[in-house]
Amino acid sequence: MDPSNKATPLTIPGAKGIAGSSGMGQPMSSSYENQWMLGDDKKHERRKSSTVDSNKENKDASSQPNASVQPPARKSQKSMTKAERRALQEQQKLEKERRVAAGLPKNAKKAAELLAKTGGGSSVKSGSPLSVAGTPDNTTASVGKSVTSPDPAAAAKKAAKKSAGATSTAKSQKNQVPWLLHLDASKRPDTMGFKDLHPAVKTLALYFSEYKIVGSNARCVAMLQTFSKVIEEHKPPADATFSRHIQKHLDPHIAYLLATRPMSLSMRECIRWLKKEMADIVEEDPPLSDEDARHRLMNRIEHFIRERITMADQLIVQNGLQKINDGEVILTFGKSSVVESLLLATKKKGINFKVIVVDSRPLFEGKHLLRRLAAAGIDCSYHLLSSVYVALSSVTKVIMGAHALLNNGAVYSRTGTSMVAMAASDKQIPVMICCETYKFVNRTQVDSFVMNEIGNPDDLVNTKPMFNSIHQNHPNPTGSALENWREQPNLRILNLMYDVTPSKFITLVVTEVGLIPCTSAPVIWREYNEEFGKRG
Amino acid sequence: MTLDTKGDFDVVACYQSYLGNHDISTPVAVFKALTEFVRQSTAPTMSEFMQTLDKASRAVREASEQVELRSIDRQAFQHHKAAIATLAGLDLFMRFVKRNSHDFALSEAQSFDQFKHNLLSRAALILDKASMARFKAAEIGSQFIHDNAVILVQAYSRVIMGVLSHAANVQNKRFKVYVTEGRPNSEGLRAVEELREAGIPCRAVLDSAVGYIMDKVDMVFVGAEGVVENGGVINQIGTYQIALVAKALGKPVYAVAESYKFVRVYPLNQYDLPACMPEIVRFSSRNQLFHNANAQTDEEINLASTNPFVDYTPPQYLTLLLTDLGVLTPSGVSDELIKLYL
Repeated sequence: MDPSNKATPLTIPGAKGIAGSSGMGQPMSSSYENQWMLGDDKKHERRKSSTVDSNKENKDASSQPNASVQPPARKSQKSMTKAERRALQEQQKLEKERRVAAGLPKNAKKAAELLAKTGGGSSVKSGSPLSVAGTPDNTTASVGKSVTSPDPAAAAKKAAKKSAGATSTAKSQKNQVPWLLHLDASKRPDTMGFKDLHPAVKTLALYFSEYKIVGSNARCVAMLQTFSKVIEEHKPPADATFSRHIQKHLDPHIAYLLATRPMSLSMRECIRWLKKEMADIVEEDPPLSDEDARHRLMNRIEHFIRERITMADQLIVQNGLQKINDGEVILTFGKSSVVESLLLATKKKGINFKVIVVDSRPLFEGKHLLRRLAAAGIDCSYHLLSSVYVALSSVTKVIMGAHALLNNGAVYSRTGTSMVAMAASDKQIPVMICCETYKFVNRTQVDSFVMNEIGNPDDLVNTKPMFNSIHQNHPNPTGSALENWREQPNLRILNLMYDVTPSKFITLVVTEVGLIPCTSAPVIWREYNEEFGKRG
Repeated sequence: MTLDTKGDFDVVACYQSYLGNHDISTPVAVFKALTEFVRQSTAPTMSEFMQTLDKASRAVREASEQVELRSIDRQAFQHHKAAIATLAGLDLFMRFVKRNSHDFALSEAQSFDQFKHNLLSRAALILDKASMARFKAAEIGSQFIHDNAVILVQAYSRVIMGVLSHAANVQNKRFKVYVTEGRPNSEGLRAVEELREAGIPCRAVLDSAVGYIMDKVDMVFVGAEGVVENGGVINQIGTYQIALVAKALGKPVYAVAESYKFVRVYPLNQYDLPACMPEIVRFSSRNQLFHNANAQTDEEINLASTNPFVDYTPPQYLTLLLTDLGVLTPSGVSDELIKLYL
């Protein structure tokens, strides 16, 4: 399958030459993303051509970070209202200025041709790539058409018509916050462009995109087990050995999973590890037979799951228990599987303690945790994130889970974690993070925007109806005030899934190797990766 | 050698006798005592040896945790202050034995006696290195003292005395020292005497006057009973206060410690320490106050015995850790420990 499919969903798949349009003027998306996901295998070289193009195009258009601020599908000028026409005019004026600033000729048509020639595609004229991301065949045609057609509006119209098949996805992607377009959002899996996929992977992708499997541990284990099944049932073609072919076979599956829900950081680490294992199998001398290679891979996967996820959780519980004493009041946020195990084990040990569960919209994950803790007989209470300061007045320790631990000691976790950590550290309450070592990643992030996941904005819409005087004139007073947010031209709803907690708010991290300060995360990552290097 | 009622080697008594030697620091004393124990051990097999060793180390740990204080003589105070340092020494010894026993398990060619012999010779090497460690730390520490510096030192610490005398005698630097009194055993006065003999101008200040003179001070030097996993130090009571004041006024705080004091403890706050004083923290009552006729000395004794001996200084208040391994940042301690243990 085309390797460019592996890029962010914003890239037009199947159109390698124009793959650069993924760069929305933001260098972050293409090259950094590709580096992160592809690791250091050959595909990176092949990608380099397109990333070079995208970089070039980024440099051209990068004077404005929102070079692609456009309504997703431009209607013809006749059907637009006056206001919309005015908006379109403003936009075109802006774009012209940008083109001039970037050194391109003033005329839109000439600029487009110039850009197309450099192979960087053009985000300026192809409308929102989101609307054309669905079907590769359609989009190749539409973009191809727009390269040749002189009028950007007409081209956009054609693109809009051609991508009718993808409008359902387009609609849900419409009205994205313009300066966050580099972030990934989850989409329904689209099987049309992908052939020969193992049904287990398709099922998994569906589960992911419907949020039926949530939580980093659960997703990782599910993914690894599915891949194990794929490996088990894979029969290489006659002209290749298993060891050499298995990586090529798995790549489209990985790409497919990526296209549905953006992978968690921990999943990417797992995939990186898996690729390393596969590369090691190829290196084996004398070469392994197919059966041997297959069994070895499956054993390794099972070993990884057992050692670095399951056993790690048990060790974390053991290590964390030494820090919880009688009479403590523990606050936790959201639902982390490890924290849940720790609290249940503490209860089992007979320690007398209380738990405060803090929760937040829209997922309300804390409710599941609360149910389980209450069932175990633990004294719990429940707060929303807005009252976390009040809840903290009696708390002795805060224990939370993490999605990933970054190189600079920051914690990448569910939105709201950093607020709880900040509030706790303000009150001099120690904050403990429970994290397995496989979640330690070799990247650094100082803010939460450079890399994140956007959830479904419609999840935030269900606010309670307001019956005050402002809304007396509301046409539908029983509905949410935000229901028609898509029709409002200046309103965007943002539903970020993760945030970054700086290391200064975190007192300690409980891992299976012991209690460590969060600034020692890179040492652990280095030790584990060296060790695996030696073992491989 | 000292034998207890069962006729076995009494490691606790041995350890306490080593502690009596003023020059040896606690972890080294523990190490020496346990080495003696190994030498006297009559266990014929590896597993029995490990068992007796475990028992001995537990005995030493319990001895150091007992809080039976009838007099406030310096010896006893040192002994009780040393709970953390004992842990560090025990950690070091057990780690050393386990590493060697691992080698032993791998190579079947060695007999058990040979193993013991190797162990003892290696232990001797380690003890040599340990005695040099203080000098090395002093050397590294003294490079931070510049001419005309005004230094604040907390009470009496052997390492810090080493640093100051090295800077004054070997490096010929001129500086002045403020020494805090260090109640309740007022060891700071002894430090002042020693410094005067060495020709270093010094003054004793009350513990409560630290905030007053902090502005006149260029840097603060503190010793350590133990260095904990996140880079904080556990030291004599009062260190945390000094570090807080120094941080508030922007003065650097240098903790000087030998590397055998690194211990695998991770306190979250003052009360998370192994050597915690529950009565102070929880306001439980002490009947003794009302019983004895000689109220005054009892008051003093009670103050000394009910108050904590050590406190914990979190890493954010320490500028650098000067050890015999080199100059470390507080987060560097964890890196070293991880590389050792992982």
